[in-house]
Amino acid sequence: MIEFLAARLYYLVSFLLLGVGTYMLIGSPNLVKKVIGMNVFQTGIFLFFIVAAFVDGASAPLLTAEPPYVSPLPHVLILTAIVVGVSLTAVALGLIVRIYDEYGTLNEQSIQELVADE
Amino acid sequence: MSELLVFLVVVPLFGSVTALLAGLAWSRTGWPIATLTAVTQLGVAAVVAGRAFRGTPLQYVPGGFTAPFGIQLVVDGLSATIALLVAVVALGVLGYARAAGPRSNAFYATYLLLVAGLSGMSITGDIFNMYVFLEITGLAAYALVATGTGARAARAALNYLIVGTVGASLFLLGIGFAYVATGTLNMADLATQLAAVGYGSPLVQASFALLVVGLFVKVAVFPVHTWQPTAYAGAPDSVSAFISALVSTVAAYALIRIVFSVFTVEFLTTTAFARQLLIVGAVVSIVLGSAFAVTQREIKRTLAYSSVSQFGLIVGAVAVANGTALTGAVIHLVGHAVMKGGLFLTSGLVTNVTGAETVDDYDGLVDRFPAGSVAFAVLALAMIGVPPAIGFVGKWYVVLGAVEAEAWTLVVVLLASTLLTLAYFARLIERMFFRDAAEPSPTTADGLSADGSGPATDPTAVSLGMQVTVIVAVTLSVLLGVGAFEYGQLLQPTVERLLT
Amino acid sequence: MSTESPDGTSDRRPYVESPIIMTTVRVITPFVFTLGLFIMFHGADSSGGGFQGGVIVGTVVLMLGIAFGVRVTREWVGPQLPIAMIGLGVLAFLLVGVGSVLLGGGFLEYGVYGIEDASKYGIEAVELAIGLVVSGVVIGLFFITASGLGDEGGSQ
Repeated sequence: MIEFLAARLYYLVSFLLLGVGTYMLIGSPNLVKKVIGMNVFQTGIFLFFIVAAFVDGASAPLLTAEPPYVSPLPHVLILTAIVVGVSLTAVALGLIVRIYDEYGTLNEQSIQELVADE
Repeated sequence: MSELLVFLVVVPLFGSVTALLAGLAWSRTGWPIATLTAVTQLGVAAVVAGRAFRGTPLQYVPGGFTAPFGIQLVVDGLSATIALLVAVVALGVLGYARAAGPRSNAFYATYLLLVAGLSGMSITGDIFNMYVFLEITGLAAYALVATGTGARAARAALNYLIVGTVGASLFLLGIGFAYVATGTLNMADLATQLAAVGYGSPLVQASFALLVVGLFVKVAVFPVHTWQPTAYAGAPDSVSAFISALVSTVAAYALIRIVFSVFTVEFLTTTAFARQLLIVGAVVSIVLGSAFAVTQREIKRTLAYSSVSQFGLIVGAVAVANGTALTGAVIHLVGHAVMKGGLFLTSGLVTNVTGAETVDDYDGLVDRFPAGSVAFAVLALAMIGVPPAIGFVGKWYVVLGAVEAEAWTLVVVLLASTLLTLAYFARLIERMFFRDAAEPSPTTADGLSADGSGPATDPTAVSLGMQVTVIVAVTLSVLLGVGAFEYGQLLQPTVERLLT
Repeated sequence: MSTESPDGTSDRRPYVESPIIMTTVRVITPFVFTLGLFIMFHGADSSGGGFQGGVIVGTVVLMLGIAFGVRVTREWVGPQLPIAMIGLGVLAFLLVGVGSVLLGGGFLEYGVYGIEDASKYGIEAVELAIGLVVSGVVIGLFFITASGLGDEGGSQ
């Protein structure tokens, strides 16, 4: 059992990150922390891809190194996905700045109370 | 000339950058650039569609690589239909947005970026490329929703962003599982490799579940639809029309492509839970979407919940998975885009002319704005499924397909959905035509409406472009219904290829 | 450097003038910029590429903003530079792709260009364009988020 888990440790960490990210998204009332939770969620997915690409005892995917190589394709995929994640975070933070200017608070429950009073 | 496929994405991207750069020097050039780009896009899409319906699907690999190492673009009849729909709706909403919508160059740059993302998603044959275009579409849509006035738009956009990102991330995780199982990302190659791995493998089944749930979030199937009512209600009218007509439609196209081209019908028939997942999502959306639509007070939120219900119908057709149902799903996708876009444009026009935004405000609308109420009523009847409008043809094919497949619960729910659609639309039609307007309360004129920002009730805000666009939408929803049977024949070879 | 924001509201981000940070930033800025360009050029052989290099080049302006004050840096950069960088970068990428179509090959088919090693130089040109776009986006977003108030009500 322990060997089973130890061999798949990084996959476990990846799903742990997914869980932590989801909890932050749902459980935290602060808007910025929700965005951080979204980032942690995405980081878990990136870790899953990178771990899947790794081959034990392989070298970096360069022509000057010798085979076997680590698979380079997931690295490129995750690069694109990281850029997408950064853009999403940037747009989310821009929206949060606007919301803060309007309501003066970042707590979601306070905002809902303010909206209900309108 | 298969390079035209790439130009479906290059043309709107080029227009977007031109609008952005032109905004540095001249401030009102956004709309002309956008319209020129949209007309070019329509031309390219029409030529591609003309070629694609002729036989084998068009294929192209940019960069001179070969599939499956390069990113392959594949256009068959279904993709061509969606690409053409994107071009037509983009041009139509531009006609509306000239007077009504936001005027800044940044808005038009984002609009064209959304068109690029939607076109790219409909023509790609590589699953990770589809994820990239899905995120481009999402980002542009979040930014467009945020162009509304006030913080309500910002909150709606943030809600949409967070829920949409979770959905897209699940889609990415599904791609990851499929890649780990097979080692390829090309859709045609994935189909053969997934079959070789075996449909009973947990990796393949988990991949399917994640991909489908991720797309459910983007299509707004109950219970992950919560972003849709707030986003549609908080966005400006032209943006609501554009997003409601196209974003969920192309996400539903992606669902059809994933279910039938990547995991084939074999997978649906051999794996029980796959079909159940689709059917449960469909049934719950149809019933609860309509139920919530009846209880809403704002018109735009009613229309948003109506979308949830209609897409439930399309997901149900995907679950049935035979030729008739699939043809009906495609026809209903196109028809719903035209009808729902037209309904949002009409409700925007009504708001501009009379200031009516809630269901109560629609009492006696026929006295205040007869043309608008007639247009709304025709589109609503088309949506309910009155022949010969296109809403009828789509539903007819889907119900026929469900009967052929003997999926009796689905048949009952589909027939009930027509009654439920009737419930919320007939309520509106009755209020518009058969009730008297409430005493003209001053609140609709001095701007204290639900979102805190006053609707513009000056007639100068209603331009010829807005009215022409609404009339075109109404006419199309009826005319397309007449032509839909021939279109079904045209789609026949594509559907057969999807089902093998 | 000012320590109050111009409209007199309470200052949420007090700017502290620190000679250590200012001197350090003055000294290392050219090296960071060079590092960013180096990473942009070497994406094919080692870690790097357009995205990473672009972020590092964008960080140069961020460092200047944090060291000398965001408002002053924003006025120095100007509102048009980030948009111009984004636009020119995307335009360069599209022209590299469409150019090969006009010369008779496929989209982004580098071999059609008549120079030797066209694939290598073509990819580097595209990476530089991507770096330009990414640095423009980083700079623009930093100024939008750090300024506090949205300009036109959009999130661009």
